[in-house]
Amino acid sequence: MGVLMIVLGMVASQQVLRSLSRLHDDRLREIARLHVEGLSVALGPLVLHKDVWEVYDTLDRARSASDGQRMLFTVVADDRNRVLAATDPLRAPVDSNAAPFSEDASDLSALTASGNEPQVRVRAPLRVAGRTVGQIVTEIDVGDLVAERQRVSLYLLLANAGATALLAFAGYFLVARMLKPVTLLAQHMDDAGGAPSRIPESEIPKSDTELARLLRTFNAMTGAIDARTEAEKRLAERERFVSLGRLSSSLAHEINNPLGGLLNTVDTIRTYANRPEVVEKSVELLERGLVHLKDVSQAILDENRLDRVGLPLRQTDFDDLKLLFEPEAARKGQSLDWQVEADATDLATLPAAPVRQVVLNLLLNASAAAPEGGRISLSVRSQDGGIELTITDDGRGLSAQDLDRLMSSAPVAPGGGVGLRLVHDLVAGLEGRIRHAREAGRTSLAVFLPKREAA
Amino acid sequence: MRRRELIGAVAMSAVLPLPSVLRAQQLFRLALTPVFLDNDAAVIERLRDALSAGMGRDIDLVQRRTYQEITGALLDGSVDAAWLCGYPFLQHRSQLSLLGVPVWRGQPRYQSYLIASAGDEASGLEELRGGVHAFSDPDSNSGFLVTASDLARMGETPDSFFARTIFTWGHRNVVRAVAGGLVRSGSVDGYVWEALAAVEPDLVAHTRIVSRSEWLGFPPFAARTDRMGDADVTALQRALLAMDRTGAGRKALDLLFLDRIAEPDIGLFDGIAARMAELRQPR
Repeated sequence: MGVLMIVLGMVASQQVLRSLSRLHDDRLREIARLHVEGLSVALGPLVLHKDVWEVYDTLDRARSASDGQRMLFTVVADDRNRVLAATDPLRAPVDSNAAPFSEDASDLSALTASGNEPQVRVRAPLRVAGRTVGQIVTEIDVGDLVAERQRVSLYLLLANAGATALLAFAGYFLVARMLKPVTLLAQHMDDAGGAPSRIPESEIPKSDTELARLLRTFNAMTGAIDARTEAEKRLAERERFVSLGRLSSSLAHEINNPLGGLLNTVDTIRTYANRPEVVEKSVELLERGLVHLKDVSQAILDENRLDRVGLPLRQTDFDDLKLLFEPEAARKGQSLDWQVEADATDLATLPAAPVRQVVLNLLLNASAAAPEGGRISLSVRSQDGGIELTITDDGRGLSAQDLDRLMSSAPVAPGGGVGLRLVHDLVAGLEGRIRHAREAGRTSLAVFLPKREAA
Repeated sequence: MRRRELIGAVAMSAVLPLPSVLRAQQLFRLALTPVFLDNDAAVIERLRDALSAGMGRDIDLVQRRTYQEITGALLDGSVDAAWLCGYPFLQHRSQLSLLGVPVWRGQPRYQSYLIASAGDEASGLEELRGGVHAFSDPDSNSGFLVTASDLARMGETPDSFFARTIFTWGHRNVVRAVAGGLVRSGSVDGYVWEALAAVEPDLVAHTRIVSRSEWLGFPPFAARTDRMGDADVTALQRALLAMDRTGAGRKALDLLFLDRIAEPDIGLFDGIAARMAELRQPR
């Protein structure tokens, strides 16, 4: 906008200067023409008769009449270009060659003041009755014209610069004013680290303009976004139960299977109540079974309670996960390669709840993908500046849609679960990253979680 | 009486055209050679006032570009008298008579000056050879005859001695031509040069006197001999000779830097006659 103004200003200045220059040239030519013509009329017959004195007298009187005016110097030559007389005979003595004066003089029609020279030299033939009898060369003072043009140019440039600056400023002011609601919108869109925030009604322009409508629409959108975030949060909440739900039949078996054995053991104790060695052995068996059941139910309870407790991640969290997941893998005859080798201090910098959720979801996903009797692995290792969780399976691999859910923040296409998206969001929340690899028939998902500053 | 004449003339002009001769006779005409005052209206005005008062009638002062025109006008009667140079007076000595001779700085004589520009170092005529020279008028004693006769003595003519000569038709113009650098040297009336030195010192300051001639008869007032008895002419002579004794005359003389107009003495012009003879003498 400002640049446009400046360019326009420059073009306008250029035009005015050019017109001014043309005007000055016209004026100069007119002055020179009148000057030369006046002298020519007076000098013609005198030059014809080569009357040195009369030519000088005419020039001298013309010079003193125009004292301090335009004519600086005039030389009159005869038809052989010998000097007849000049206003300054010392510069152009009588009978000397007039060529040095006429050579670099310009004709009347070609006269211009654009050279910024304070004087111009013009030549014109002297004619009497249609015959050229000599030549007149005259130096004309155009210092005032040049000075005037320079002055006008300066004023013009100053005025133009001023006007341009004013316009640019006014333009900036107007645009800033026009853009104010947009700036407001941008501020609220990017408020508090990327999350859009509502624009207070008091800041929305009163008039029912497009912009006011835009701002209200934005407010409506922020409401929708808030609602969606809320919904996603609830969904994630529910996902935890979904994960557990998916495990419920396995876990039920896990609890149910030992129960049969335990009941048999109780019968055994009743039957052989008089045989202490049998009873003791059976009680041991009973105890082991009950402890296992206690562990399983404790793991389930922990999984449910985790979001309310900001506990740090520990080795036992992985033990819990194994306890929860193993029955599911066993149910499908899948082998589980479980290696948790991470440093406990590294683990402790991370919160337990989201990591457990991430690992459980990915394990469930791997188990679902892997065939009956397939192989699933988990490895947890300390890495440079964090820990890396790697879950592999020998399933058919992730569909493009699933990868989208897992790897990108793009909106989730309708249909399909939200488990993978939850993993993505949780990892993003921990400022981690997910790598996906597919090689030798195995799908590998590596989640890197950077160590966090001790809270 | 003049009023009656005027009324009569008006009455007559209503009846028949007035002959131009009659009109010419009614206004006394005095011609002036171009001396220094030839472009000073105030001087002309004062001189006319003084002479009109002295003669008791209106007079017309006539100026022409060249001496020849003035002499011609005097000879053919279109002017009644003239203030002219001694040279043309002598050329027409047989037809003209003197009315009076101005007295300048105590004597009725003046000199011719050979001048050059102020920076020129020439000390005599000989050193001006090959330059451009300005004469006043071919019929001027001081502005031509003196230098031409000097050259004749050297066996030269102006055209052979100088690269170029020009006539400026006025003594003041000679000074201008030299001062402006148009010419290297000039022949000028010493009286005019001295008067200009007082009136236009800036102009004269650009020139210097290379040499002065001997004292020669001052340009006289003259009339045709056959009209010397006319009442008009004698009235003019009386007025001229009495100028220094009237207020108006005194003012005019002061402006002209003259003392008075003296009785004529033909012997004053012997010097000019001698130079004329030298110029005529074949070499």
